[in-house]
Amino acid sequence: MDRRKFLKNSALASSVFFVPSFLKAFENVDLCSYGYNKLVVIQLSGGNDGLNTIVPYRNDIYYKARPKIAIPKNEVIKLNDEIGLHKKLQPLKRLYDQGDLSIINNVGYPNPNRSHSRSSDIWHTASDSNKYLKSGWIGRYLDFYGKHTHQAIEIDDSLSIMLQGERRNGIATRSASFLYKGLHESNFNKILAYQNSKHLNEHNLGYLYKTMIDAKSSATYLYEKTQNYSSTQDYPTKNPLANQLKTIAQFINSGINTKVYYANLVGFDTHAGQVNTQDRLLDLYANSVAAFVKDLKRNNTFKNTLILTFSEFGRRVKENAANGTDHGAANNVFVIGENLKKQGLYNDLASLSDLDANGDVKYEIDFRAIYATILKKWLKVDASRILNSSFNSLDFI
Amino acid sequence: MNKKHILHLYWRAGFGLLPKQLDDLSSKSREEVVDALFLESAKITPLTINTSSLDSFTKEALDKSRVLRLEYNKLNVGLIKDYSHKWMDRLVNTNETLREKMTLFWANHFSAKNGRINYVKNFNNTLRKHALGDFRKFVKAVSKDTVMMQFLNLNQNNKSKPNENFARELMELFTLGVGHYSETDVKESARAFSGYKNNFEGAFVFSKYQHDKGVKTFLGETGAFEGDQIIDIILKQKQCARFISEKIYGYFVNENINQSHVNLMTEVFYKDYNIENLMRYVFQSDWFYNAENIGVKIKSPIELLVGMCRTIPLRFNKTEELIRIQTILNQRLLYPPDVAGWKGGKNWINTNSILVRVKLPSMILERESFTIQPKGNFTDKFKLVYVKNKYQEKLNVSVDWKTYKQHVKKVTSNELLFSLVLCEINLGTQNYLKTLGKLTKKKNLAKIMSLPEYQMC
Repeated sequence: MDRRKFLKNSALASSVFFVPSFLKAFENVDLCSYGYNKLVVIQLSGGNDGLNTIVPYRNDIYYKARPKIAIPKNEVIKLNDEIGLHKKLQPLKRLYDQGDLSIINNVGYPNPNRSHSRSSDIWHTASDSNKYLKSGWIGRYLDFYGKHTHQAIEIDDSLSIMLQGERRNGIATRSASFLYKGLHESNFNKILAYQNSKHLNEHNLGYLYKTMIDAKSSATYLYEKTQNYSSTQDYPTKNPLANQLKTIAQFINSGINTKVYYANLVGFDTHAGQVNTQDRLLDLYANSVAAFVKDLKRNNTFKNTLILTFSEFGRRVKENAANGTDHGAANNVFVIGENLKKQGLYNDLASLSDLDANGDVKYEIDFRAIYATILKKWLKVDASRILNSSFNSLDFI
Repeated sequence: MNKKHILHLYWRAGFGLLPKQLDDLSSKSREEVVDALFLESAKITPLTINTSSLDSFTKEALDKSRVLRLEYNKLNVGLIKDYSHKWMDRLVNTNETLREKMTLFWANHFSAKNGRINYVKNFNNTLRKHALGDFRKFVKAVSKDTVMMQFLNLNQNNKSKPNENFARELMELFTLGVGHYSETDVKESARAFSGYKNNFEGAFVFSKYQHDKGVKTFLGETGAFEGDQIIDIILKQKQCARFISEKIYGYFVNENINQSHVNLMTEVFYKDYNIENLMRYVFQSDWFYNAENIGVKIKSPIELLVGMCRTIPLRFNKTEELIRIQTILNQRLLYPPDVAGWKGGKNWINTNSILVRVKLPSMILERESFTIQPKGNFTDKFKLVYVKNKYQEKLNVSVDWKTYKQHVKKVTSNELLFSLVLCEINLGTQNYLKTLGKLTKKKNLAKIMSLPEYQMC
């Protein structure tokens, strides 16, 4: 098939009336040649208190540091003789028992920053704590290996830096139809109807048009591809994370070629009255993830999906005067998927008698080693290209 | 002066022009137009806000009571929001256009933020005061400003326990650029800046007990330097004049740097580090008006919003909505992302922000509903973010159509297009415009402003 024919056919096949050829047709590598694996990233925004999530229920230092907010021994869901889960994480215990969960403890980075936005940017951009990168690790993954903007989707209205690359961006949408309908409301479509890719160049104005064309073609693709799918899975109601994960499941189960999804649950900044807030949030988290996994399993897509949960930092070991905790450093990360190589607890909890100068947990595993592992072993790409340096792979997958 | 050139000058040195203003200026020479621009900005008008609601809080009381601190912080957050709205109003209404544009530029160069209104206000006015002044005095003032000191931990930089954060960024981001100093220079200059503190009111305090009086070796010079002397040594390096010239060129002329033009600017700036002289030189240079520099810059969100508000007299009635729009477009005034500031250019544009940019005019001018929510803050309570947000709402703006209609009374739609769009209009879009036929003045304006070409300046 010659190029022109190919273009024409693919335009018809996706019934996108205009395929931005300069963006798409002339690259011959498709991400599918890197496998069908998908990554779902969930951020617990605000800084989840990891120490009350994965609890060292036999550790006296823990109970001494937190006389008011420590999780009592009898409430913990025990994983072994030392460590237990927060009581609201029962759904995660089931994943743990099935071998679908790996808990990586003491994850962080050197010279931790305790500002939410800065530390979150460090996690999103995979930068050193004293460097300022303007692109995210998923954005750079698209730069090197992506073809379409919808190959990385954030379930929101605006795009986080994680999904912004140097040359390419992911796309944010609240639902499969949200963007598509939004485009019809505005002049966007009318202007694009008159464009011819031949007149566009690499300069700034050309870039604007290309981005618009890209947005339109991705919005159309997502809308059309998901039209015939309807989920039979029940998701928890009044749960914003469940809504996002339900949308992601709809995308995944419709068989679209997106590689990375990003969802976010906010509210973890528990400086005061932590216990009730965290109970509620972990309950939302665990139940929505459980429903999501069920949904994927039912559609036989769980085997190709890896779920990574992180928070921008953990919290201070010592509780504060308001029955809460202040910003800390290293934290735990959850990896959920089938056929994990190292199931259950990936490593031991850090010592609580050897804290940093602020009284925070010291990091043992650099979060970028987790990214590197996922990029290399799961998404099957060259991690060092994306992370700008090499990190040793871990063996959780 | 050529009309296109006037528009170019006024978009880079300001936020555009109305057709009538353009007409008035076109009878003048370039020199006269540029001179007038500087004359209008000769005055320094600080941006003020009434903070008397904070007067009753003392440091002693705040140190003691957490409840009081929470109340104090909350008041500060509200006042900073009001202040950012006042800044926006200033940008829209001021005649000191160049000074305000420069202030915006420096706010992204000396990028810092703080949660206390009085510190924020002082810092903002420090930027405004020196915006066209002596760069040497400017850097020294910034190094002693509470917002900067706290943002880069300079107030924690003590003799026994140096903190290098400020010293490093001073050279890397504010004056020289990476590669023009060594790690030793960072360490030695950090020692020279030790002892910098601020008091509760935000005034600079030099603690001689925390200052390292020892001898330092910095960029090849040796002495018992203090902070100001470090800045003097930095400015002796021609690289400093070059670094600033290049940044100004990237922002005011073209992001594609023409080294020979930057060389010329460097020579001018190195003489006396006078910012006004440098800017005057740029705006008087023939190369500034070269076709390759006109209409090639992607407007920052603030340039876009202020430009719109200046064309149609319009005002956001609700501070929260204004902040929300800024947040969605990724440039919230007073909240730069980090010490490196906003990167600008193509970084303003992604798949989602372009959608909002194109839709914005109809949201404002035709009151189309606004269905996009910014992300929650990290510190938001769960409830706030997910329950309180109304999903669909219309923006609450006052649009002064009467004044607008007077502005454009005898202006043809081609003239209007000329004054609003600087770059060549894309061929397809020209055809699209032809299909529109005769529109009302309102609709016509909304259509022009939602063109991708309107995003350029």
